[in-house]
Amino acid sequence: MIELQSIKKVYTMGSQSLEALRGVTLKVEQGEFISIMGPSGSGKSTLMNIIGCLDTPSAGNYILDGDKVAGLSFDQLAAVRNRKIGFVFQNFNLLPYATSWENVELPLLFDGKSARRRRERVVELLNAVGLYDWRSHRPSELSGGQQQRIALARALANDPPILLADEPTGNLDSKSGEEIMDILTKLWKEGRTIVMVTHNDHISARSQRIIRLFDGLVV
Amino acid sequence: MNLTLPRFFWSEYRKRRKKASLITFALFWGTLSILLLMAFGQGMSTQFQVSFKGLGETLIMISGGQTSLTYEGLPKGRAIRVYRDDVAYLRERIPEILRIVPESYNGWPVSVGGKELNRNVHGTTADFAVLRSQIARMGGRFLNDDDNALGRKVAFIGWKVAQDLFGVSDPVGQHVIINRIPFTVVGVLQKKIQDSMYQGPDADQIYVPFTSFLMIDNQPYVDRIHIQPKTGDESLLIEERAKVLLGRKYRFDPKDRYALGIWNTIEDSKEGLAVFRGIEIFLGVVGALTLLIGAVGVTNLMYAVAKERTKEIGIKLAIGARRRVIVQQFLLETVFIFAKGTFWGFITAFNIVSLIRLAPINYDSFGIEAYLLRPEISFQIFVAYMIILGALVFLSGIFPAWRASRLNPIESLRYE
Repeated sequence: MIELQSIKKVYTMGSQSLEALRGVTLKVEQGEFISIMGPSGSGKSTLMNIIGCLDTPSAGNYILDGDKVAGLSFDQLAAVRNRKIGFVFQNFNLLPYATSWENVELPLLFDGKSARRRRERVVELLNAVGLYDWRSHRPSELSGGQQQRIALARALANDPPILLADEPTGNLDSKSGEEIMDILTKLWKEGRTIVMVTHNDHISARSQRIIRLFDGLVV
Repeated sequence: MNLTLPRFFWSEYRKRRKKASLITFALFWGTLSILLLMAFGQGMSTQFQVSFKGLGETLIMISGGQTSLTYEGLPKGRAIRVYRDDVAYLRERIPEILRIVPESYNGWPVSVGGKELNRNVHGTTADFAVLRSQIARMGGRFLNDDDNALGRKVAFIGWKVAQDLFGVSDPVGQHVIINRIPFTVVGVLQKKIQDSMYQGPDADQIYVPFTSFLMIDNQPYVDRIHIQPKTGDESLLIEERAKVLLGRKYRFDPKDRYALGIWNTIEDSKEGLAVFRGIEIFLGVVGALTLLIGAVGVTNLMYAVAKERTKEIGIKLAIGARRRVIVQQFLLETVFIFAKGTFWGFITAFNIVSLIRLAPINYDSFGIEAYLLRPEISFQIFVAYMIILGALVFLSGIFPAWRASRLNPIESLRYE
């Protein structure tokens, strides 16, 4: 499903260059649930962004679902993010002025789905995360746990095979965190591939496999 | 046509309406103030020109004078007069003359039904109307050639004379007694702005056919000869030639500045036009500076708002929005905000100007309000304003969005 071969990422700032990833090779099979762990600055988020097609590697090959990502244009990458990958961010990244309904609807809209299909799907997703009654509320009117559940619903909008979660429980209290983890576990059991970045051993214990990063390398 | 995205853009715009309202207001205010400023300037300039033309357009007036130089053995201080036959004399010898009319006047008692006043009564011919901007009110006319040929007892009266003698009733067709001779009123002068005059404003004058005038007052000389040249450029030439011709006839030095009284409104209006041009340039500069200040304010706001939305752009890119969608959204929002602000600015300015124009001008005591109460919206200025401000607003509104859409989504997402 996800195959990374000697991925390098170098950030250049003026004359300084920083090697965030120094040749990461990694393979994630379909239906796997893996956690990426490591100290701050080890390159977890960089790796996550590359897997999520939010960033491109400086060197190395990335094969997603059998296709090479390197040759894709900006808009083709956007289509990949839209259909194949669902994102859950630590700080939710919901549009602040949009309602729960509208936030969940957004990926469907960008995919050009009809109004009827969008409506059906949003109802289904909001019911699945238990927030249908909160559909007209804005993110600022929701608790952290509720916001993350909306973000999860949004990530699942186009039914992507891969779910990427960057510290999904990082900004939540333990109870809300547990709820989110329950949903992720359920999704995994239904057949989705899940890649999660976390600091938390308790959270990572839920996954099948833990990959540890240190100084831009898998250890 | 798929309206899904435009609808989505619209619903997003509506949510951000409050944030956009400051920009909309800035655009509204800028449009309003520039249009008003230019409208008052333009109106003032136009009114200056209108009042200048109140006396008459392209007009040279010649009257008698007194010599100030000795000439061919004749002493200075001799009175010089112009006579009736000088009209034909000048017309025959100066081909550049288009129209030439005599005018004589005298103060006489005029009365209607026991109400008596003293007014200046002028004898002249039909062309006087063209030369001296004498336009009759609806239902009346000025003197014509037949009136003169037949020596008709008809009169054309100023609007104040009409008011003073006839009150509210229509004077046309009624009699007015001039120096004990009844005249029929054929027309009343339409109200006009007049900032230069001799013998008082035209509103207070009475005009009768030249031949009829001579029957009351058979003076051999005329008080004024009015000349309209074929083209304005020939006015100085005509002036010089009239001095030479009349100097030869009445034996005075053509260089004698006081032998004849000459009033050349064409030369005067050239000076006037330079003043108007100066006012227009000044207003143009003020307008351009105002536009610049307004544009800096608006573009700054647009830029800040677009920049503030970098993170939002990042979120949209992360969940699969194409670049085109992002830029389209900003483009449409900018078009809408710009159109809304400038539209209301224009409508408000237009209404204010129209309302002010409804205010009456006091033609009897012509003052500053005559210049201020007739602003004019200039569509050329509005179009130029729209183009310049439009270009700046679009650049400042779309450029940050375009740039954010070209960043890696992750960089936009990190933007706080």
